[in-house]
Amino acid sequence: MKLILKYYPLLLLLIFGACEQPEETLFQLLPASESGITFENTLTETDSLNILDYLYFYNGGGVAMGDINNDGLADLYFSSNQGKNKLYLNKGNLKFEDISESAGVQGTSSWNTGAVMVDVNGDGWLDIYVSAVVGINGFEGHNELFINNQDHTFSEKSAEYRLDLQCYGTSSAFLDYDLDGDLDFYIVNHAVHTQESFGRAQIRNVRNEKTGDRLLRNDGDTFTDVSEEAGIYGGVNGYGLGIAVADFNKDGYPDIYIGNDFHEDDYFYINNGDGTFTESLKQYFGHTSRFSMGNDVADINHDGWPDLISLDMLPEDDEVIKSSEGDDMYQTLKMRTQQYGYHYQYSRNMLFTSQQGNSYLETALLSGVAATDWSWSALFADYDLDGEKDLFISNGIPKRPNNLDYIKFISNEQIQRSLNDSRLIDEKALQMMPSGKVANYFFKGDGQLHFENVSQKWSSAQPGISGASALGDLDNDGDLDLVTNNINESASVYINTTNGKANYLKIELAYQGKNTKGYGTKIYCYANGLMQYQELYTVRGFQASSQPLLHFGLGNLLKVDSLQIVWPDRSEQILKDVGVNQNLLVSHKNTHPSIVKAVSNDPLFRKVDDNLGIDFVHREDNHTDFNYQKLIPYEVSDRGPCVAIGDLDGDGTDDIMIGGAKDQPAQVFIQNTDGFQRIDYPELIADSIYEDVTAEIALQEKSNTYSIFVGSGGNVISPSVKVLDDRKYKIEGSQLKKENFNTDLVNTGIITSWRDLTFIGNYTSPLDFGKIPTSYLLKEGKILQSFEALGMITNAIWDDFDEDGQMDLIVIGEWMAPKFFKNMSGKFKEVHPLKEKLNGLWQAIIPFDIDSDGDMDYLLGNWGLNSKFSASSNAPMKMYYSDFDGNGTTETILTIERNGKYYPLLGMDELAGQMVFLRKKFNTYEEFAGKTIEEIMGDALQKAQVFEVHKLASGILRNHNNTFTFEAFPGSLQISPIKEFVKMDFDGNGKEEVLAAGNYFGVIPFHGRFDSFPGAMIYGDRQYQLGSELGLNLMQKSVRHLKIIKISSKPYLLIVYNNNKAEVYEINP
Amino acid sequence: MRSIHKTILLFVLPMILAGCQKSEPIVITSTDFQNEVDKVTEIMIHDIFSPPVASRIFAYPNIAAFEIITQSDSSYRSLAGQIKHLSPIPKNEDPLVNYQLAALIAHMDVSKSVIFSEERMESYRDSLYQVWGKQNESEFEASKNYGLAVADYIKKWMDSDNYKETRTMPKFTVITEDPSRWQPTPPSYMDGIEPHWDKIRPFVLDSASQFKPTPPPAFSLEKESPFFKELSEVYNISERITAVGDDSEEVQIAQFWDCNPYVSVTRGHLMFATKKITPGAHWIGIAEIATRDSKSNFNETVYAYTKTSIGIFDAFISCWDEKYRSNLIRPETLINQHIDENWKPILQTPPFPEYSSGHSVVSGASATVLTNIFGDNFKFLDDTELPYGLPIRTFSSFNKAAQEAAISRMYGGIHYRAAVENGLQQGISVGNLVNERLQMKVE
Repeated sequence: MKLILKYYPLLLLLIFGACEQPEETLFQLLPASESGITFENTLTETDSLNILDYLYFYNGGGVAMGDINNDGLADLYFSSNQGKNKLYLNKGNLKFEDISESAGVQGTSSWNTGAVMVDVNGDGWLDIYVSAVVGINGFEGHNELFINNQDHTFSEKSAEYRLDLQCYGTSSAFLDYDLDGDLDFYIVNHAVHTQESFGRAQIRNVRNEKTGDRLLRNDGDTFTDVSEEAGIYGGVNGYGLGIAVADFNKDGYPDIYIGNDFHEDDYFYINNGDGTFTESLKQYFGHTSRFSMGNDVADINHDGWPDLISLDMLPEDDEVIKSSEGDDMYQTLKMRTQQYGYHYQYSRNMLFTSQQGNSYLETALLSGVAATDWSWSALFADYDLDGEKDLFISNGIPKRPNNLDYIKFISNEQIQRSLNDSRLIDEKALQMMPSGKVANYFFKGDGQLHFENVSQKWSSAQPGISGASALGDLDNDGDLDLVTNNINESASVYINTTNGKANYLKIELAYQGKNTKGYGTKIYCYANGLMQYQELYTVRGFQASSQPLLHFGLGNLLKVDSLQIVWPDRSEQILKDVGVNQNLLVSHKNTHPSIVKAVSNDPLFRKVDDNLGIDFVHREDNHTDFNYQKLIPYEVSDRGPCVAIGDLDGDGTDDIMIGGAKDQPAQVFIQNTDGFQRIDYPELIADSIYEDVTAEIALQEKSNTYSIFVGSGGNVISPSVKVLDDRKYKIEGSQLKKENFNTDLVNTGIITSWRDLTFIGNYTSPLDFGKIPTSYLLKEGKILQSFEALGMITNAIWDDFDEDGQMDLIVIGEWMAPKFFKNMSGKFKEVHPLKEKLNGLWQAIIPFDIDSDGDMDYLLGNWGLNSKFSASSNAPMKMYYSDFDGNGTTETILTIERNGKYYPLLGMDELAGQMVFLRKKFNTYEEFAGKTIEEIMGDALQKAQVFEVHKLASGILRNHNNTFTFEAFPGSLQISPIKEFVKMDFDGNGKEEVLAAGNYFGVIPFHGRFDSFPGAMIYGDRQYQLGSELGLNLMQKSVRHLKIIKISSKPYLLIVYNNNKAEVYEINP
Repeated sequence: MRSIHKTILLFVLPMILAGCQKSEPIVITSTDFQNEVDKVTEIMIHDIFSPPVASRIFAYPNIAAFEIITQSDSSYRSLAGQIKHLSPIPKNEDPLVNYQLAALIAHMDVSKSVIFSEERMESYRDSLYQVWGKQNESEFEASKNYGLAVADYIKKWMDSDNYKETRTMPKFTVITEDPSRWQPTPPSYMDGIEPHWDKIRPFVLDSASQFKPTPPPAFSLEKESPFFKELSEVYNISERITAVGDDSEEVQIAQFWDCNPYVSVTRGHLMFATKKITPGAHWIGIAEIATRDSKSNFNETVYAYTKTSIGIFDAFISCWDEKYRSNLIRPETLINQHIDENWKPILQTPPFPEYSSGHSVVSGASATVLTNIFGDNFKFLDDTELPYGLPIRTFSSFNKAAQEAAISRMYGGIHYRAAVENGLQQGISVGNLVNERLQMKVE
C-alpha cells in the first residue's frame, strides 16, 4: 500500500506523459449543464408503435436556429417526436433559457417532425412552423404555425393561414416561387405504404392527400394549394425526406430538389417562371442517391453555380457494409429503369457539381464523401474560415433494420408466426437489430472537389444518433456553430473555436415587402481574386432551418474587394472594399437592375443538327456478361462500336465505317458533295452476327487500294458460327471481298496498321475472364511475331518513342502496364522505359508533348478515381483467377486493400452465388463480414493466378530522356473511365490540343454508373477545360471513339457512343 | 484410506466396463426415419432452397437408405441398373451390421452433404449417435461404418448429376423486348431460378423433354383469344374469391397449397421473407402420413419415401425443362399491365416462368406414385401445413389432393388454366413412367 502511495505521483506523471495531450478540436461540445439546453428527443417504443410498424419511427425531430426576439442572439427551437417541443432563448455567453411553456410553442400534435423558423407574415419577427405526421399509428393533430407576438410569446394560427395540414409531414420550406414578394410554402410528405411493388413510376401522377408533397401559394393572408396546377407530384410513392431550394439554373426563379427514399426518384423541379414547375431530374442528373435522405446546396468550387449533395446510407466500415443490404441486382435495376420508368439510383451519397446549371458532375467517391453511414443532414459551410466550403454530416439510427442477419432471423418461420399472432415477439425482434450509432462526420473542403475526413480532428463527439441539424453563430464570434437534434440523448451543441484565428464576413439581409429576411438573395463575394457565391435559404440539411445569414470565410484576407448582392427582384447593389470580421446588415437600397451576364455563346464545338448524313445508332444486344461470369469486375462485351476513317472510294475524301453490335450490320458512309451517303453492302449485312469492336482502314501500298480490318468481340461462343473471327474487307467495285483472319477464340482488343505491319492486340478469352490470349504482329498478312500472354490488350499505337527514326509500338491493356516494343530493323523487342509499377486498366493512349519540351509524352486513359476500386503501388488492387470450386469453370475475385489486409469487394451473397461452398462455410453474414480474402477462401487461394492494378488514375507519361514517369490528371478528369483521346489544333492557335472523353456503364449497381464526365480539352500542363464549357454534351453517354473527319478540308468531330446515336460537332465554328 | 480407494476402484471399474458391454440390440422404427426426414425438411426451410433443389435434397438420401434396405430384405430390389448410372452399392461383410440403422445413418450423412447448415444436422446426428453407442457400441460402430461407406458411394454417384456444374452456368437473361416472355415479378423481382435444371440427370426419364406438354395457348392480347381469356379467367376468379374473403373455400385452398419456400414481406422499415416448405416437401409429408396411417414398417416406409421422391425429382426436371422453353409471362405482370395496375395475386408469384405449373406436375407425379404404393381411395387427413398456421384438410385420395393442389395455383392467381391442367397431366405421365420402370418391390 505504502509503496503504491509513494509512487503515486510518479505514476500519474507517467500516465500523462504516455498519452499525448489531445489536440484541441475545432468544435467543442457545449454540455447541457452549462448551456441549459437539456432537450432530448426521447422515443418511447410501444407494442403498436415502433420501427416494425412505422418505417420512419427513427427519423427524429427538427431543429431551427434564429433570433426570435431580435436581440441579435440566435435562439433555438427543437421539435420532439412524442414529447413537448422546446424553445430556448439565447441569453448571451452561450447560456440559454427554456421559455417553451410561456412562449406557447410546445405543440399539440402526436408526432412532430421538421421545424422551421421563418417570418411568415412579414412583420420582421421570426415565426415557427412545425410539421406533423397525422392520420397513421393513431397520430393526431396538424402542422402548427406559431406566429411571433413580438413579446416572447407566440400564437398558434395555422388554421387562420390555412397551413394546418394533416398529412405525413417530413419538413417544409418557404420560398417566393412566383417572385411576388411574399413567401410561399412547400411541404415534403412521406409515403408509408409498403414498398412491396415498385409499380410504375407514373403512379406519382395520382395525388394522395396524405403522402403527396404540396405547394401552397401565399395569397396575402392565407395560403392556397396550387400543387396540381404547378406540376408538383403528389403520389403514393413519394417517400419525401429531403428538400433543397436554390436557383439551380440561375434564371432568377427558385428551383426545388426533393430527395425521395426507396425506389421513388428524386424530383428536380425547374421553375418555369410562370407559376409552374417542370420536373426534370433525368435531364440534369445521370443518377442519384437511392435511399435519399437530407441534402444541401452550396457553391463548392467557386464557379458561381449551386452544387448539391444528397445523402444516403452507405456505411464506411466494411463489416457493416457486408452485413447490410446492398444495391440492386443488375437485372432488377435494368427492369426498374427500362420498364418501370425509374431513374438510375445507387445507395451512397451523391455529390453533384453544377456545370453552368446544365448538368452535374457526380463525384462523391472521388471527393471522399460517398459513405457516411445512415446519414440524415448535410450542411455545407466554411467551418474553419479558410475560404473553402466544408461539410458536416449527421447520422446514426438506433436499430439497423437492413441488417442481413436480422432479416434472416425474422424470416425464421416461428418468429414470423409470432410476429403476426402477437406483439410478444416485437421486443425480442427489436433487440436483435444491431445498433447504428455512428459519430457525425466533418469534412474539410479544398475547393477542388476533394473533401478530407477530419471528423476526429474537428470533434471528439462519440457515436450517437443525430438527425436534424442547424448552423449559425450562437456566440457571435464570427465562426459557425452547429446544433443537432439527437434521439434518446440531449441535443448536441458544437461550438466552433476558430475564434478569430481567421477572418470572416457575416451578412444579414433586410429585404423589402414580406420577404423580410431576403430569401433567394444571391451574394457574390470577391476577395483576392477568388469568388465565393451564396444564396440565402434557411431550410437546409434535414427537417431543420439554419440562422438566416450568409457567411463567408476569408482566411487571412483583410478585406473583401467587392460584394455583389442580387436581390430576388433581380435588382442588385455592389459594395466595394468591405472590411472583414463584421456582421453586415445589408438593406435593399441604392439598387440597380441586375444585368444577366450573357453566357459565352461562341463555344469551341457546336452540334451539327443533321449529323451530315451520318445516321448511325449503336444498339447493344441483350447479352449481359454478369449473367455468365457473375464475379467479373466489369463487362467485356460492350467495347463497341468501332469506327474507322479512310478514303474507301479513292476520291480523296474521308469515308467512314462504323461497326455494329451483335445483330446489327456495320455501316459505310461515303463522302460526296452533299455530305455522307450510306452504302449498304450485302456482305456487311450478312456479317451482322459479329460484334465489331475495332476497325482500321488501311492502304494496301502494293495495290494502292484500301482494306477494312474489323475485329470481333462480344464475349460469346456460338456453336455454329465463329463469331469471334476478325475480318478483312476489300472493296472491289461495288462489292466487298471478305477474308477471315485472327481466328483464335478470343475477343479482339485492337487492330492497328502501319504500312505493311498490322498489330492484333487480343483482349480476353470469351467467358473466361483472366485467361490471357496471344497477340500477333502481322507483316503483309503473315505472322511476323507472336506475343504469348501479352495481356488483356485494349489499345496500341505506332510511335517512334525512342526517336531513332524507326516506327515503334506501344501496347496498353487492363491489369498490365503499358508495354513498349522497339523496332529493331523489323523485329520488335520489348524495352522497359517505365520507372515504376504501372499496371492499370488502361483504355486509351495518345502521343502529346504536353510540356512543349520537344520530346514526346503520352496521355493515358484509365479507370479514373471516382469508383469503389482502389489501388496504389504499395497496395495494388488484386484479382484472383482460378476454378475455385473445381467445377470446370473459372471465377475471378476482386479484392482491395484496407489497413494492410485484402478484402473482397463484393459480399457473401454475390460470392456464394458463384461458389456455393461458401454458404456452408459461413452461416451468418456477420461471420463473413470483416473477413480477409485469405480467411474466406482458405487454401483455394494458393493455386489462383493473381492480377494487379497499381494505378487507376488517368494521366501523363512524362518523357525524361526516354524514360517515363507517371503523373495523374487533376480530379475533374478522374470522374469516369477515359476511353478515347483525339488530337488536333482545335482552337486554331497553331498548337495541338487533346480532347479526352469517356464514361462507362458496364458495371453492376454496386459500382453505380460512370455517366458524368463531360469530356475535357487538354491544352498543356495543368491547362484543362471541361467539355461542358466547350459546347460538348457528353453527359450520360458512354463515348467509344472520337474522330476528326474532314469535309472540303474543314474538320468536324465525329463521336460514337456505345448504345447511342453517333453525333457530329462542328469545330471552332 | 488409499488402499480402500484402490480397492473400490478395482471392483467398480470392471463393473462399469461390463455394464457397457452388456448391450441390447438397437431397434430402428419407421418413426425414426420419419423424424429424420422431418429434421431435414426443417433445415431445408431454414436454409431456403428453391423447389427443384429441394427435390434433389430429398431424393438422394432416400435412395442411399433404400439401397441398404435391399441388402437385407429380399422383398425389395436394388435401384442399381434401374435408375440412371447407379451401380450396386458396396456389399456389407460385417455380421454385426444393423441394416436399418445403417440406412438411417446413410440418410443423415447424405442429407448433411446437401444442406447448408451442417451443424444443425450434426447436433441431431450426434445426439442419436450417443444413444445408439450406449445401447450397443459394436452394433452401432459396424452399422455406422457400413452406412457411411454407402453414403460415400451414393454421394460420388450424386456428384455426377451435373448439379455442381449448373451452379455456375449463366443466369437467366430476361428478354424485355418480347411481351410474351417472362419478367421478374413483384415484390422482389428476383432473377429466374434454376434456368439449367433441365440439364440435371434424371432418374427415370429418358430425357428432360420426354413429357413435353402441349404448348400453352398462343400469346395474344386480343380480347377474344384463348390466351387472353385464360388471363381474364385468372383475374376474374381472383376478384370473385377475394370479394368473399379469407373464408372463401378457394382462398383457403390456395393458401393451403402455397408451398412457397420464400415469400417476401414488407413491414414497417423491413423487408424480409416468410419461409415455408416446398411443393416437394408437402408431398413427402403426405408420404409420411400414408406410412403412418398404413402402419408401415421401417422398410416399407423407406420404400414409399424413396419412390415418391424419385417421382418428385423427375417431375421437377420435366417441368423446369418446359418452363424455360416456353418462357411464358406470369399473369401478375400482364394483369398489372393491361387489366388492373393495382392487382396482386393471393399468393406471391414465385420467381420463374409460368408454364407449366410446378405444383401441378409434382402433385400429379407424387399422387400417381403414392396411389401405386398405397392404392386408390386412400383417405387421409393432411396436417402437413399445420406448423405454418394452416388448417388440416381431408382428402379421399391422393389423386383428389393432386387435383386440388393443381387448381389452387389458379385460385392463387399465379397460373393460367393450361399450366394447371396440362401440368397435372405431365406429372401423371412422369408418375406412370416411374411406376412402370421401377421394380423396387417384389410383389
